[in-house]
Amino acid sequence: MTQATKYEKPVPLKTLDNHPYWDAADRHELALQKCSDCKGYIHPPGPSCPSCGSPATEWENLGSDISATVYSYITSYRPFLPGFQHDLPTVITVAALDVAPEVKIMANIIGCPAEEVEIGMPLKMTWTDITPDRALPQWTPSRSQN
Amino acid sequence: MTTYANQCAIVGVGESERSRNSGTTPLHLALDAARNALRDAGLEARDLDGIMNYSTGGDSCTSHELATYLGSRPKYVKDISGGGSSTELLIADAVALIEAGELETVLIYRAMNGASGHQVGRGYDPDLLQGMLPGGSFVMPYGSASPSQWFGMFAMRHMHETGTTKEHLGHVCVSFYEHAQRNPKAFLHGKPLDMETYLATPDISTPFNIHDCCVELDEANALIVTSAGNAKNCKSRPVYIMGMAPRHTHSHAHYWTQVDEVASDHAAPALYQSAGVKPEDIDVAAIYDCFSWVVLRQLEAYGFAKRGEAGDFVKDGNLKMGGRLPSNTAGGMLSEGYTHGMNNVLELVRQLRHDYKGTDRQVKDCELGICTGWSGPDLAGAMILRN
Ligand SMILES: [Zn+2]
Repeated sequence: MTQATKYEKPVPLKTLDNHPYWDAADRHELALQKCSDCKGYIHPPGPSCPSCGSPATEWENLGSDISATVYSYITSYRPFLPGFQHDLPTVITVAALDVAPEVKIMANIIGCPAEEVEIGMPLKMTWTDITPDRALPQWTPSRSQN
Repeated sequence: MTTYANQCAIVGVGESERSRNSGTTPLHLALDAARNALRDAGLEARDLDGIMNYSTGGDSCTSHELATYLGSRPKYVKDISGGGSSTELLIADAVALIEAGELETVLIYRAMNGASGHQVGRGYDPDLLQGMLPGGSFVMPYGSASPSQWFGMFAMRHMHETGTTKEHLGHVCVSFYEHAQRNPKAFLHGKPLDMETYLATPDISTPFNIHDCCVELDEANALIVTSAGNAKNCKSRPVYIMGMAPRHTHSHAHYWTQVDEVASDHAAPALYQSAGVKPEDIDVAAIYDCFSWVVLRQLEAYGFAKRGEAGDFVKDGNLKMGGRLPSNTAGGMLSEGYTHGMNNVLELVRQLRHDYKGTDRQVKDCELGICTGWSGPDLAGAMILRN
């Protein structure tokens, strides 16, 4: 089908190794790959476990209530890719999942002025519908923040 | 295992003109640089039996092309894809091949229209890059496509943890721009930078403004490696390869999932073990400086400053002439030129040969130099040279 609205930014490319992550995102859920041997999470997903090398991997659905903390972030005042010229400044963070801080997920922080972003800030995951059949996980300040 | 131990030397260095718009091809630039390196060494094109180069995204000419038009007939040509730390990697390969008896004299070059041709982090097809970059699907959709953004993520966390400030980054820039004023061939010669101007310059992407980023230019560099035995017959004063860490890796190819670690942390101990020296023995440095913060992080990794103290180390003038570790004395990639590290190697060789003796550009009586390469937080190499 044709796209109802023109989305200029890169749409996440589904690959052999990562498609369960993006398929879950399209349903507004977070799924993480996990090692069946050492039980560690694998993010981004890959062909085997980067910790122990095991090729035995599985997927865990963490649902839609996902909280995290800003581990680091940058604010870009210039667009480096198409579409971002409409969204300046762009805040990009690597956020540590509260349930598994070793897992860092990169996304924009939306719904928050750039100058208010700081390391340690609590976030929750939200999903933006970018095309009729694709959704992009994003971070937004969690409501419980004082 | 290769034992470097001064068995090989760099005997020739050369570069092309550098500009924002060469009006010519990387092949022409490479020929200029190679001929200048041969002249510097007092060698003929026919003396080269190995030629190697590195490039990114097909921005160079091949070693075979260069050999053809140089009038050289090498028995070994190698073209690798790579940016920073490729110089160190190829020098290590050359030494291994020379030690194995396969080759005698190797020319290594980097040629690029880095300003007028395509530029790193700009003008790529986003879908193509998502596929090429490890884990690209997890980065590009969020607008992260430039090394300034990738490395900035590491810098922001490091600055937060250590108290390193924007002004500390500025001292790196001010120090290197000061060196460039003594180098008529530096692109920013005649354009000094003071802290007030630096701090008043808006950021492109935090924590970096334009001065924190290298100057992308059109230019080629070349250097020649041969055995210590052959080196004695060359025109130039040999600069010996004392030790190397060819190219070490971050624990994950998708390196921005772990922003507290950089590959330089792993290269450093291997380097000092290989050379049998300590950081305090080093007189002069060429520190990879695609961005200002990268210099601070490497000063920590390579043991010149404790964690969190690199900013003050630079603020105290230690990278300037007369400081503890005069670094990037031609201006570095921040203000001289940018060939993914090779121009810094050329300057280090000239310092160790005492080419500038009698001028204010010479690091007096320097004997030992370190050169660090940084492809990113993901890949790093380094070497120690002596005269
Ligand atoms: Zn495992």
